Amino acid sequence: MANAAMARSRYLRFDLGLTGTKYGCGEGLCGACTVLVDGQPLRACLATVASVGGGQVTTIEGLADGDVLHPVQQAFLEESAMQCGYCIPGFIMSAVGLLERTPNPSTGQIRDALAENMCRCGTYPRIERAVLRAAGGRE
Amino acid sequence: MTITEASAPEGLVIVGASALGLPLPSTGYARQAYGNVSVDFGPATWLTVGGDGAVTVFAGKVEYGQGIRWGLAIAAAEELGLEPSVISVVLGDTERTPWDIGTFGSQSTRHTGVQVRKAAATARQALIELAAGRLDLPPDQLICRDGRMASMADPGRSVSLGELVAGQSVVREIPEEAPVHAPAEFTVMGGYVRRTDGLQRVTGRAVYAQDVVRPGMLFARVLRPPAYGAHLERLDDGVATRMPGVASVVRDGDLVAVLAESDQQADAAHDLLIADWSERAGQISQWDLPAALAADPHDPVVTQELGDVEAALAKAAHRLEESYYIPYIPAAPMEPRAAVAEWADDRLTVWAGTQRPFGIRGELAQFFGIDEDHVHVIAPEIGGGFGSKSIYRPALEAAQLAKLAGRPVRVAYSRIEEMTWATFRPAALITIRSGFDADGRITAWDSHAIHTTVDRPMIGQRGSESPYAADAIRSIVSAGPAPLRPGSYRSLGCAVNHFARESHIDEIATAIGMDPVEFRLRNLPEPRYRRVLEAAANEFGWKTVSTPSGGGAGVAVGLDVGSYAAECVAIGIEGREIRVERVSASIDCGLVFNPEGVRSQMEGAIMMGLGGALFEAAEFEDGHLLNGSFARYRVPRITQMPEVSVTICGGEENPPTGAGEPGIVPIAPAIANAVFDLQSKRIRELPLQRQLS
Ligand code: FES
Ligand code: FES
Repeated sequence: MANAAMARSRYLRFDLGLTGTKYGCGEGLCGACTVLVDGQPLRACLATVASVGGGQVTTIEGLADGDVLHPVQQAFLEESAMQCGYCIPGFIMSAVGLLERTPNPSTGQIRDALAENMCRCGTYPRIERAVLRAAGGRE
Repeated sequence: MTITEASAPEGLVIVGASALGLPLPSTGYARQAYGNVSVDFGPATWLTVGGDGAVTVFAGKVEYGQGIRWGLAIAAAEELGLEPSVISVVLGDTERTPWDIGTFGSQSTRHTGVQVRKAAATARQALIELAAGRLDLPPDQLICRDGRMASMADPGRSVSLGELVAGQSVVREIPEEAPVHAPAEFTVMGGYVRRTDGLQRVTGRAVYAQDVVRPGMLFARVLRPPAYGAHLERLDDGVATRMPGVASVVRDGDLVAVLAESDQQADAAHDLLIADWSERAGQISQWDLPAALAADPHDPVVTQELGDVEAALAKAAHRLEESYYIPYIPAAPMEPRAAVAEWADDRLTVWAGTQRPFGIRGELAQFFGIDEDHVHVIAPEIGGGFGSKSIYRPALEAAQLAKLAGRPVRVAYSRIEEMTWATFRPAALITIRSGFDADGRITAWDSHAIHTTVDRPMIGQRGSESPYAADAIRSIVSAGPAPLRPGSYRSLGCAVNHFARESHIDEIATAIGMDPVEFRLRNLPEPRYRRVLEAAANEFGWKTVSTPSGGGAGVAVGLDVGSYAAECVAIGIEGREIRVERVSASIDCGLVFNPEGVRSQMEGAIMMGLGGALFEAAEFEDGHLLNGSFARYRVPRITQMPEVSVTICGGEENPPTGAGEPGIVPIAPAIANAVFDLQSKRIRELPLQRQLS
């Protein structure tokens, strides 16, 4: 069972079996492990179980409402914004956090918000389009 | 798997040869990678149509970002008149899919895609025959569309694919000439199709090797040496063994690992191992490598020879000689490699995110002295690899540890392990001597490339031939001392060789005051090359000018895996940073199954190549890798993304060739040429940013 000092990402991945939260670096540098805590993006590999405390944690698995995808997930699907897909849950969580704060972001704001997420496959043009599409759909 | 094992399931089964793309090359990487394979390449199941109408495609390739599942679904959907998203594609499983050489060299579309089309066309033919009997219509009056066979004249008269095969077992073999659709008949191929396996990815349900968990599984943390070539002298595991959750500390030859009930416990105990190492002194450091390569080339191979190059150089009106240096780079995929191994008696199952599940099966069988039939390798989704996951050490490590522990074991590399203990694209020092006349004609071309390839000379040879016309040409590729472990990487040495050649071509154009696009067009006899170059230059709005113009535009062309590519770039300088603002790319990869897939691969290859061009390089000193974490290893971020356009040229007149690799080939020289155009500074060493700041 998890102890309080355990990394949040490990707890999610192996104690709860929620492996949509990915491991990319374990050092807060790639964003593959991004989750939302009370709606704000957080690098789960850096936060401990204790530090998150009683906050509400949303992972990629909890984003859709049953079979209905979250608009950001739907937009990534429609733009084919993925190659290997390993970084994609992290990007989606960061983008959801951005759109919560800034419903109609400029491309500059999108890039700033996603600058700490890494996609080695270089899917960036499609990721940017997907976030724009998701934002547009919310107007 | 052979057809006799298919146990005659209900439905239609299409079988065919699995040894595609063979015979193997007699030398080179693919040969080396497959030297240990001894399977019979018997026929295997490629496609099934179940009694419920479900269509499933089987292929031994793996999905590691190139969109093979997407491409194969499109190929089968085209022949069967289906929506690509309804087709299931089973990949990379040694017990379920046809044997496969491995996913590299952009062979997925060339061989496997063609075979899947043939399988689906064979299925259509069989279904038409069945439907003709059932509906009492001549076969040429039937159309296969949306899961039904229907009368062309009376669409109401139809039968579903499932009904046609329910309750029976029909096996058909793929004929030499399967009735695949001609390009003019395409309804699916060549059009826009959304990624078919996206849902798993956007919901976090796609399972990668790092995510595989088995009941009773132990988590391993392997003890790695502090430097290459270091030897373990003494190990004290007294404290580590007593840590909570630790099952054991295992030592098997060179392999030392902590096995624990959780990932965190394995890490914590690993940090308490006390190890004394003896390091190997005198290893080549990064700054010594160019000189070491120049001093010690060996095993030269002539990859291209025409005429007497020394005589042509002696006669040349103008001559130029320059050397170019390209450092080692790691592939740095987002998913560090991982494997889970599980033994049941003498049968071994391994989940491994490798590009070569069948090759790894052979290696495991050989290592443990068991039959290949007793080894089952499953490649789950793979979080990137770019060629580097052909060599896949954790599969063996996990299998060794699981055998000793008597429980399933997971070996998952950390980021630093991935960067340090995977392979690197070899470094190279390339010297080009050229002769030319004032009208822009190349008269002599002599290139000597020294790559740190060790036993994989193919890596350095790829793309070493010059496509430019000249009176005399010679290209020699040698191997040189290799302080880091060489391995595959997107396009192998092709992008490396092109950096030198395409930079040098620009230098000649500058020397004679000719526009670099114009100069290339004059000297490239191959029409497909000229067509991609013209397409990229048009799209870019290239203005004829001699360099340096101060404008910051650069161009380069390339050929890899049979596909032609050209890229024009516009750059600016922001502070001390080179900023790539715009890339107009074009590709001719023959017949295109999936244009969206081609664009996506080109965009990705450009982004990846931009990192290698601007700031990526492995840094190492005396056997120590210095930048094995993302804190010190910079890769391109979304903030560095240029505006990218991709023009697809050519098409059906040529067979399909690869699209995953060619995009990376022209990007680095195009940027270097643009830097020269902007700043009048010719940089002959990558990464460019390091030479500027
Ligand atoms: S795994 Fe958490 S930021 Fe990389
Ligand atoms: S899609 Fe592979 S890392 Fe982003």
